[in-house]
Amino acid sequence: MIAVLGLIVGVVAGLVVRPVVPTAVEPYLPIAVVAALDAVFGGLRAMLDGIFVDKVFVVSFLSNVVVAALIVFLGDKLGVGAQLSTGVVVVLGIRIFSNAAAIRRHIFRA
Amino acid sequence: MSPVSDANDGSGPAAGGHGGHGGPPRHGGALPPESPHPPAGSRPPGSGEPPGGPQGPGVEPGGGEGRRRLAQAVWPPRVTRAQLIVALLLFGLGLGLAIQVRSTSENSALRGARQEDLVRILDELDDRTKRLEDEKGELSRHRTELESSSDQAEEARKQRKEKEGQLGVLAGTVAAEGPGIRMTIGDRAGNTDSDALLDAVQELRAAGAEAIQINGVRVVAGTYFSDSDGGVRVDGRKIGQPYRFEVIGKPQDLEPALNIPGGVIQTLKKEQATVSVRRSEKITVDALRSSKRPDYARSSSQ
Repeated sequence: MIAVLGLIVGVVAGLVVRPVVPTAVEPYLPIAVVAALDAVFGGLRAMLDGIFVDKVFVVSFLSNVVVAALIVFLGDKLGVGAQLSTGVVVVLGIRIFSNAAAIRRHIFRA
Repeated sequence: MSPVSDANDGSGPAAGGHGGHGGPPRHGGALPPESPHPPAGSRPPGSGEPPGGPQGPGVEPGGGEGRRRLAQAVWPPRVTRAQLIVALLLFGLGLGLAIQVRSTSENSALRGARQEDLVRILDELDDRTKRLEDEKGELSRHRTELESSSDQAEEARKQRKEKEGQLGVLAGTVAAEGPGIRMTIGDRAGNTDSDALLDAVQELRAAGAEAIQINGVRVVAGTYFSDSDGGVRVDGRKIGQPYRFEVIGKPQDLEPALNIPGGVIQTLKKEQATVSVRRSEKITVDALRSSKRPDYARSSSQ
């Protein structure tokens, strides 16, 4: 419950405060958000499975974000940034889908 | 869930495939959390459809457990270290999400675009600008051409119209008005014949008359006079007395020309005719002739 509140507060804060993102970080924000979403879905699924561990969640969340941003950064340096970020989004999207399927089975038993 | 998930729950160490949570085994790296290849023998709940066509009775307990856990996690709220940490991370996620959504919807696609995309867009814009500039140059040149040609055409049309008016006055195809004189010849004795009228016309022409009509008949270059019993025919049309001349020209020239000694008026008066001449600032010559196309003569100016 507290976690859900945190998410809501974050969204509201982002909309209200309008923080300015440094230009250097800007290109990596969307990828980082998708990676974080992936981690969150994974965490939800683990919780439903009863194997949720907060430390693992924290590490996976942060490393997901960092690695995703790193891949895109590396791609930019290599000149394949657009393709690589597309690839990252595709992979993360697949994982989100499979996690969502697991969550669905838990909740709806189907 | 299926028996599979039961197995997962039961055998913690084997449950490798979870989003970011290795569960009890706690993968150190934690990054390939959803690894689609769990350790052999166990199948993560998330990897595709549950195995084994018919769903066993085990399905029920699995789903029920998941729901129960969800309900437990959501209510009542518990302030634990884990919850706080997760809340913090989710706060970050929400923040990033909101910022990204806002910037994407606010500043069109350019804000989040990558450098190479921006360069490409810029190139495209440059190309487009150049193309449009070219087109603009072409069109304005075209416009200039059209304008000058239409100016020329307009000028030519004006000149032609002017010319047409002048020639029309001469040929008697258009009405004319201007200063001039009115001359009326009354002749009870009937001595005035075609010769006298012809003399008068020639005198008027010599004095600069530009348009003449006699009793509603326009006098032009090809006009002829002939005698008829009790009157005169002008171009074959019989006219009776009195003969009314309407003449456009310079009145100061026309009147003296008629009045010179031994001239038209004197001659007529000798024949007992009465002649009156009045100057007018506005004479209207509105008798018309149809223009006749010459059968043989052709303009040689072309």
